[in-house]
Amino acid sequence: MSPNDRQPGNVPAGREPAELGVADQNALIAELDALLDIADPVPLDLMDRVRFALDLENLDVEVARWESMDHLAGVRGSSGPSTITFTVEDLTVMVSLAPATLGHRFDGWLVPGGPHQIEVRVDGHASSTTTADQGGRFVLADVPPGFTQILVHLAVPNGQRPRTVVTPTILR
Amino acid sequence: MRMSDSRKLVSDDPPWRELAGHARHAACLIAARSGDRAALDALVTDLTPLVWHVARGHGFEQTIAEDVVQTVWLTLLRNLHSVTEPRALAQWLITTTRREAQRVRGTGSRIAPLPDDLLAQFPSEEGLPELEMLRNDRDRQLWSAFRRLSEKCQELLRLTVLAGRVEYGGVAEALGMPRGGIGPTRGRCLTKLRDLITTEGGLS
Repeated sequence: MSPNDRQPGNVPAGREPAELGVADQNALIAELDALLDIADPVPLDLMDRVRFALDLENLDVEVARWESMDHLAGVRGSSGPSTITFTVEDLTVMVSLAPATLGHRFDGWLVPGGPHQIEVRVDGHASSTTTADQGGRFVLADVPPGFTQILVHLAVPNGQRPRTVVTPTILR
Repeated sequence: MRMSDSRKLVSDDPPWRELAGHARHAACLIAARSGDRAALDALVTDLTPLVWHVARGHGFEQTIAEDVVQTVWLTLLRNLHSVTEPRALAQWLITTTRREAQRVRGTGSRIAPLPDDLLAQFPSEEGLPELEMLRNDRDRQLWSAFRRLSEKCQELLRLTVLAGRVEYGGVAEALGMPRGGIGPTRGRCLTKLRDLITTEGGLS
């Protein structure tokens, strides 16, 4: 169908271009339907990343959100060092990634600090875990590449409900 | 709950296989609550396009929209047992995506925060795909016009398209957009789209 089929020329001269009739509206919607998945497709591996992020043993998790402008570098897997910052309510996590033998070295800093447990899940590998020091610093020397998710199991005073903070899947 | 343990329990013939639309979403959500991993995966497959297009309808560039999509699904995980109306899961996801989009817009330094009513008036061209991949002039013209619509119109028309597809049967009703019914706002958005195509056509 050429664009001219729906020109204001179809409207009697001297009047404002009319609102589209139902048939024309439906035709336009049908065209958009055919176009939408080509022009703006769901990214190929997004559903895989979502499934990986959701594949958790404990479902009662708090979602961390990216904080910094740098997040694209972190998420997108550039080759050089990059810093990821994410936050949830009362916790900020900064992670600096640098190339290592196998994958990446994770240098992290939690604010406020405390002996929180850090777990880095990588698709197809066993999780790497460590515990932050009192100042909130932690290091994982060599984490394999792939779909990656960072979990922080917060150290809470005895008797308080345990808390786990998780990130979306990062591509490294 | 340990979801990974429950995988073994998943039968070969899940009860939702024959279902579509909101009945399927409800069956999957209920199964996912009892730890059925395949049911949760099926929801991700069925409904990620909906979440994606709502996020993109807010004008976010691809990587930010991807983060929004992941955040929305993680939020569902936490609320698996508190979504009160399983048949309205699609609506819950749309609402959660809109809320997340507002949050990202409000806190992110990547996108200048603007008041809602102001945003609605602005055509949003930011972050939409380039046109090279589109096959012909008509497609390019249509998409170029579409990306100049307001965010409200873009989201509405994206949802209209998805709601018309078989896999989203019942979603249209949940959104208050009965199939085949053309609401006044949708009519205005489509008329605006036609006018933009006409303008573009006249220039080329």
